[in-house]
Parts: sequence; structure tokens; C-alpha cells
Amino acid sequence: MRGYTAARCRRAASHLSRKGLRYRGLLRMPQSKANVDRLKRRLLHDLVQQNVELIQGRRRRPSRPRRVPYLRLAGALALVVLSTALIGSTRLLSTLSAAPPPLRTLAASQARQVLPTSPSPAREAGPPSQAAPAPGLAAAAAIDPAVLPLAVRRIALDAGHGGDSLGTRTPLGLLEKDITLDIVRRLRELLEAGHDFEVVMTRGDDDAVSLAERAAIANRSGADVFVSVHVNWFEDRGSRGVETYFLGPTNDPFLNRLAALENRDSGYSMSDMRQLLDGIYAGVRQDKSRQLAQVVQAALFRSLGRVNPGIENRGVKSAPFIVLLSTQMPAILAEVSCASNAEEARLLARPLYRQYIAEALAGGLRAYASEARGGAAAHGG
Amino acid sequence: MTESKPVLHVGIDLGTSRSSISASNGQRHVVESYVGWPLDMVARKVLKKPVLIGQEALDNRSMLDLHRPLEEGLIKDGSEKDEAAVRELLWHLLSLVGVARETRNGMKVRAVVGVPAEALRVNKQNVRKAMQDAVDSLMIVSEPFAVAYGLEALLHTMIIDLGAGTTDFCVMNGRLPADEEQRTLTQAGDWIDEQLSRLTRERFPDARFSIHMVRAWKEESSFVGATRNPVVVTVPVNGKPTAIDITQEMRQACEGLLPPIVESMLDLLSRVQPDYQEKVRNNIVVSGGTGLIRGLGPRLEQELAAVGGGKVKVVKDPVFVGSDGGLSIALDAPDADWEKLTS
Repeated sequence: MRGYTAARCRRAASHLSRKGLRYRGLLRMPQSKANVDRLKRRLLHDLVQQNVELIQGRRRRPSRPRRVPYLRLAGALALVVLSTALIGSTRLLSTLSAAPPPLRTLAASQARQVLPTSPSPAREAGPPSQAAPAPGLAAAAAIDPAVLPLAVRRIALDAGHGGDSLGTRTPLGLLEKDITLDIVRRLRELLEAGHDFEVVMTRGDDDAVSLAERAAIANRSGADVFVSVHVNWFEDRGSRGVETYFLGPTNDPFLNRLAALENRDSGYSMSDMRQLLDGIYAGVRQDKSRQLAQVVQAALFRSLGRVNPGIENRGVKSAPFIVLLSTQMPAILAEVSCASNAEEARLLARPLYRQYIAEALAGGLRAYASEARGGAAAHGG
Repeated sequence: MTESKPVLHVGIDLGTSRSSISASNGQRHVVESYVGWPLDMVARKVLKKPVLIGQEALDNRSMLDLHRPLEEGLIKDGSEKDEAAVRELLWHLLSLVGVARETRNGMKVRAVVGVPAEALRVNKQNVRKAMQDAVDSLMIVSEPFAVAYGLEALLHTMIIDLGAGTTDFCVMNGRLPADEEQRTLTQAGDWIDEQLSRLTRERFPDARFSIHMVRAWKEESSFVGATRNPVVVTVPVNGKPTAIDITQEMRQACEGLLPPIVESMLDLLSRVQPDYQEKVRNNIVVSGGTGLIRGLGPRLEQELAAVGGGKVKVVKDPVFVGSDGGLSIALDAPDADWEKLTS
């Protein structure tokens, strides 16, 4: 065996490498040697740091933001602010329901969502809509999101369709139910890899699960956010791209038709609907859902644009999908690509593209979680 | 006094089609990224090896469970066999530069491995997992960055690394490229093979050929634009060796790659700070085996004319440019940093 000292190896390889590059006429020195060396040192430092983070992501649980000292203060503030918000929100509730529930009932139901079985306090409570405040809700709209430590810890992932519900299909026969399940499995792996999130799946296999059951799974688990993954389909084969929905009304006949189709097998009766509508309290959840949708949509468009240059940003939209209505946490439905478009159908058939979609969704969720944490941390000092 | 083991630094370019290794002991090797296990006892007896790698695997493919474990530049997920194939490939590369499998010859092995520019965290972790027993310390870098580092093209440069599985873009601005400065397309050498195979089959439905033959034709005769030399290949037609002219099909397949490459190149250029756009336009480096398509550099320069002109240089010997870059990084990284990256 021949031994190699580090210095000897460096000299040999350096000579070989430089000689080869000069031969190819490509060795360039854009700046002085000293500048290049300085540049290299900086790049190496960053590269090593990046790799250390990669190792740490696999090996150890990243430290959580320190929030314990602020929990009690935030909890007390949450109670005060929540009461103010609820009083302010009664007027909006009257517009959502002909016979709004009594304030106490609403507060109790909200408290169940605010303080689920998980030890994380006041996870769900958030500010009322600031993007479009309802008249008379000035006090509620003024809630500073930073007041509440809105840690996102548990994420419910919903792979659209399943079992007999095939969803749409690509021209080559790939089914929406299979595509969404594959993406959600990849997404789960990404989210769990960093130990930042717990993931709950509404279906882990090719199972038929009604929309009501999906919502119930998410609600029972005390999930902090709900993400439903779907694949789009348009009669116009040229249409393509990504769009993300949060709960809300729409005047768009196409979206109403789409919602009716998606809601078809919801498993809910008419009497259930009243209870569901009561659940849309004061736009609080809707506002967080809108925020989540915006972040996820931006991540999807930005990331997928790199591998799907023709992708269209179809934007963030509101629509009355039952699965968004019946969940008790910020919830979105992401249409991650379009099966009716030949190019996107081709891409959807590739595992790497589905991995990109999962990565984009994970990126959006991390950004949303980070915003939520940042707000609380900034307030808490 | 602490005992210091001899250190071997290696740069590895783990490619879909070929993988190369450059080591600090001066050795450089390239192998076809194929791994095959004998299909049965008879095959094992004939081949006399438990596993075959590279060209040897390709040559004996009829007797092998043959794997090309890197799809689109990444370890295929969901298949233990493909993970095992990557491990075999890595061990084989290391053995070529003198690293014994069990003992590593008492050496400390520090490796830099290139992965596609937009390889995701899980894929990078798959590479780490595959290599953890083979090396002492490991650094993972994006392939075009390794190329840029090796060429010392670190400032105001765009690298376009055309491989078999992916085409990677990276703009170097004197720092680690951010997400928006990198791009990966899945249209690359394999994509050309698919197109060429389809087009040839459409025109010569009775001709019999395999994707390996198509790959060889492309490597021999790929071009864009005009050519004086017709591309004529010999294939069995109805059992009889016949010469067929596939010049048009070759042009069409290769030129099909241009739109996504040009679009990505111009888009990335448009995102460069305006002050530096001209510099970057004049510093475009094309690397990778698929970058050797004849006429590609001038054709990209034609496209750049629409945005003020630019210069494209093609690396003439692309086989080791990625692994050489990885080796440069490995050699330049201080010992203290390597200690942080222990497997």
C-alpha cells in the first residue's frame, strides 16, 4: 500500500488540476490572485456551513424558539384580546348566519380550538381579517398577530380523492388520486425530516375517505394547519399553472361548479351545514387561511417555475370547498399543476417534478410557520 | 503527539450517464453509471463476479439485473436496489483511486460530491446515506458550482452544465448561488436519446435498435444547425444490417433541447443585476458531455445577440471538469472544516 501525506497529495492534485485547466484554455483569473483566494475562502466557509446544516437537519432536532418565558403573558393577553375580538365579531357573525350562536357558545367552541389537547397554548386564535375588515370590526381588526404565539407544529395533509374517487386523469392515464398521494407522501417526508413538524395524513393509501372524515381527522388531531393537495383540469388544454384556494364565497360560475364537484361526496347533511357555517368565526381563521394560501402559492409558483418555465400563476382565490369549511384550523386547497395540459401532464408523470411540488409546498409551510413564530417572537422580545 | 493518518481527497461527479472521480494522489477515472447483478446462478458462474459495474455491466446486460441508479441526476427513491447500486458505484470509484473497501488502506478519505443544482434536501441526504460508510468526511455541492470552482469562474459567470439527466444552470456572483441563481431542467442528454429514438422509429419502423445504440449515435454525431457530414448508422432492418440516414432526426432531436435552454439562460440573465449583465453574458461556460453537441456554442451566441450579444465557451474535455472542481474544493477546505463534516 502506498501512503499519501496530505501535503504531497495537495501538491500533486493541484498541479494536475491546474495543468488540465490551462490546457483547456479555461482557467480564468477575473481578479488578482489574492482576491480570488479571498473569494474562495468565503465560498468555502458558506459551503461548509450549508453542509453542516444539512447534517444537523438529519441528526438533531433544531432548537425551538424560546418562548416559555412569554407563554403566561401571551396566554393572559390572548384571553383579553380574544374576548375583545369576540365581542367585536358578533356583528359579522350575524351576516354569516341568520341565527348566530350565543356569544358564550361561540367562545366555548373557540376555546376548544384554541386550547386543544396539545400542550401548545392558544395555537388557533388569530387576528380577524385585516385584508378586508368588516364594518364595525375596528377593534377586532386591530389585534396584533404578534400577541399570540402561533406556533405551527402539527400539519394535516390531505391527498385529494382516493379509492373510488379517482379525480381527474392525465392524457396518459395517470390518476389524480395517485398523483396527490405521491406528492403528499413526499411532503410528509420533507416536513418530518427536519423534526420541525408532526404530520397527520387524512389518507395514507388508496383509501376512499369522505370529505367529512378528512376534516374530522384533521380536527381530532389538533392540527395547526390543513393542506389539501389536488390537480387541476381545464377544458382549454392550453391552460396550466398553479392556484391555491382558501375558504370564501365566489361569484365565478366556474369555481362554483368546481366546488360543487369537489363537494359532491362530502358526507355532510344540510343540518350539518349550519354548524359548519357557525364555525367561520369572525373571519379569524379565514384570514390566516388567506395568509397561508398566499405564502404557499408564491412558493409553488417560484419553485415550479424553474422546472416548468411555462407555468402560470393563477393566483390565490376563495371558493366554498367543503373540506376547507369543515376544518377548524387555517386551511387551503392547492391545485399543484394541471392534468389537462400536455406539458404539465408529462411533468406530473415524473417523480422529480412531484418532488419539486412537495418541496415547494414544504417551503411555503415553513415560511408560514416561520412568519407565525417570528410575529410571536418579535412581540415577546 | 496525535497520530495523523494520511489523507486522500477526492472529487466525485455522480452522473446519470457517467460518473467520474479525481483524487489527490493524481488518479482520475470515469465509469459508466451502470450497476448490474447476475440474474441467476448460471449468470453468476459465467460472469464470476457478484456485481458488475460500468462498461462491463453494460456489455453483459443480458445476464444482469441492470440498474442505472441515478435518475435525472438524483438517486431514485423508493428502490433499495437503486440505493445499493449507488453504494456499489461509489465503492467502485473509490477502489479505482486506491481506496480498499474495508480498510480504506488506513487512509482518511475526504470527499466532495456534486449533485444537480436544485437537488433537494432529501436527495442530498440520500447521497450522504449512500456514502456514510465509504468516506470519513463528506461535502455535497451543486455540480455547476463545482465546475465554476474548478475553473475559478467565480465572479460574473454563468455555468450551463449539460449532463445526461439534467441541465444545470448557475450564475456565479462571488457567493454561493441562491435559489434564484440556479436552475435545473430535466431536458438533457437522455431527453435527446428519447427524441432521437422516437423520431428514428417513426421514419424507419422496421429498424431494430436499443436506447444504448441511440446514445452511442448521439455521442458520435450530435449537432445543431447545418452539417456537411450526414449521420448514417447501421442497424438491422428485417434482420439485415442496413445503413440508414438519420441526419434530420439527429438535428431535430438536438435542436429540441434549445428552446428550454435558451429560455432559462435568458431568464437567468435577466435576473442578474443590470450592472453586471454584460459581464455575465460574455462569460458563459458550457460544460458536461451533452455540451459537446456540435454547433451549440455558436447557436447560443446567436440567441444572445437579441439581448446585446455575448460569448459562450464550451469545455472541450467535460469528463473530469466536475470531479476536478470537487477535488479543488476538497483540497482548499481547511482541516478544521472537514472535521465538522465527519460522516
